[in-house]
Amino acid sequence: MSVRRALTIVVLLLSVSFPFWGSPYFVGRIFTPALFLGVIALSLSLLAGFGGMVSLAQMTIAGLAGYGYGYLTVTLGQPWWLGILGGLLVAALAAALFGLIAVRSSGIYFLMITLALGMVVYALANQNRSVFGGHTGILGIRAPELFGQSLAERTVFYYLCLGVGLASYAYVRYLARTPFGLALQALRDEPRRLAALGYHVALHRVAAFTLAGFLAGIGGLLAVWYNGAISPTTIDLTRLINVMVIAVIGGLAYAEGAFLGALVFVLVTNFASSFTQRFNTVIGLVFLSTVLLSPEGLSGLLDRLARAVRRRIRPGAALPQRFPTE
Amino acid sequence: MSWPQFVTVTLNGLTLAALYFVVAIGFTLIFGVLRVVNLAHGSFYLLGGYVGWTVADRTGSWVLGAVAALVAAALGGLLLELGLLRRIHGQDLREALVTIGVSIVAADLMLAQWGGFTYDFSPPDAITGGVRLPLLGIGYPKYRLFVLAFALALGLALWLLLARTRLGIVVRAAIDDRDMVAAVGIDVQRLFALMFAVGAGLAGLAGVVGGSVLSISSGEDARYLLASLIVVIVGGMGSLPGTAVAALLVALVEQYSLALFPTYAAIVSFLLMVVVLVVRPQGLFGRPA
Repeated sequence: MSVRRALTIVVLLLSVSFPFWGSPYFVGRIFTPALFLGVIALSLSLLAGFGGMVSLAQMTIAGLAGYGYGYLTVTLGQPWWLGILGGLLVAALAAALFGLIAVRSSGIYFLMITLALGMVVYALANQNRSVFGGHTGILGIRAPELFGQSLAERTVFYYLCLGVGLASYAYVRYLARTPFGLALQALRDEPRRLAALGYHVALHRVAAFTLAGFLAGIGGLLAVWYNGAISPTTIDLTRLINVMVIAVIGGLAYAEGAFLGALVFVLVTNFASSFTQRFNTVIGLVFLSTVLLSPEGLSGLLDRLARAVRRRIRPGAALPQRFPTE
Repeated sequence: MSWPQFVTVTLNGLTLAALYFVVAIGFTLIFGVLRVVNLAHGSFYLLGGYVGWTVADRTGSWVLGAVAALVAAALGGLLLELGLLRRIHGQDLREALVTIGVSIVAADLMLAQWGGFTYDFSPPDAITGGVRLPLLGIGYPKYRLFVLAFALALGLALWLLLARTRLGIVVRAAIDDRDMVAAVGIDVQRLFALMFAVGAGLAGLAGVVGGSVLSISSGEDARYLLASLIVVIVGGMGSLPGTAVAALLVALVEQYSLALFPTYAAIVSFLLMVVVLVVRPQGLFGRPA
């Protein structure tokens, strides 16, 4: 059994049994948010890792799913399943639209355009009362109830987030091996050659952006159930950047990095705030040192460490496979 | 829209354009010469505003405050370039990420230092109060007219600098092809440091000039970062005339739409950006990448 597989099993066992031995605070306030933030950050890893598209609008898309759910269930009084469908539809459509606008650019241009798009949506949410509820947003959003049991109950919600997190992680890993995933990675490396081979470059990018938007939308629904409300603050500049911070700390090009980064982020914001008010400075410094010292993030660091150890033990061992990088 | 309202909205648009120009021109210069997307640009605006307010408050001189803002932000920019960015030049995504990190830390430290309060400036008496505009027949704040004149003067000075001086030639050459500029023996590292200081300094100065129109408080960094982004996306990244035209376009569109349909004004800015990107992805004055 490989080390990797053993590690996977250990992580799985620990996370599934966690509510039985972990403190309620850690289950509800640390790991649960880390999981849904991880899903949102995963949508960025998917775009950046495969597609070479570094988007700052993932939180906006997640937030739009939350707004869609809140508008349908609270403002219009529709049932929760309609809210879920509507929220995800809004997220996917917004992502497709953003994608159409931004895909003709790449690199830092893409980053700038998605950031501007995200901030425009923030301004709209702040100004518009009829749909977005203006500055207050939409309050009193409730998670669905199944068999008389609210999904927002701590343990239930933890398992929901865990299930969604694992499923989306598995899906992203699977996607990397599908023809579509392979085409995306090729697009990231050699768009011109792919175009010459007859691939529709822009269409693939828009499709990837829409897919990632759908994923972000799922994370956004979990987040809005957790918070019970949504307001423009949920999608302000700081929150947009937080998704980037999470993905970069964990390792932008690693699917597992999204969750690792989210866990570090939630831990730092929770615990740094108990001894200093300047926890944002701590987060910023962690982020800066990651970018400057280990651009591949924590996952990259662990990967390098594991490789070094393996070389010590078995010189000439096969290089481990890993999530593609730029 | 009645005539006086139309004139007022137009003038508001023009003064806002002036402000956007002063903020965004620094962003454009830094991007044009260094190829760095400085996402901490809004932080320099805010830093300038706070430092300028503090100095003006201590000394009683608004002009001294403005000078201090310029110097403080320029030093901040120099520090960012020499301390962090120089080591990773050429990796544009990483550079953008570093500026994001700096903006997080800077926003938090400035919040710690100056708190969540709103600070009001008091510009010199000569440029405060209202003035009755001849021909147009409406009253208008003198200070806003000063902002307009200031931006025009700054634009003219920059144009003269770029068109008529040796430094200007080097800067324009660097925007076109910085490798070639380095190859002919010009110290580009010094040029980069200088441009970063100038760009950040202008943002800091804008913090005082713009902060005096309304006020300065935390959160303004995000607002002016967005303005800079939209202006350079519309105008074309790295193009100086593009920045001027786009600042005018973006600000006028914003003010008219705020006056006509206030709850959807953000959509109009969005549409403007979208239309430009669809028709000319490189921006109005940008060259194809």
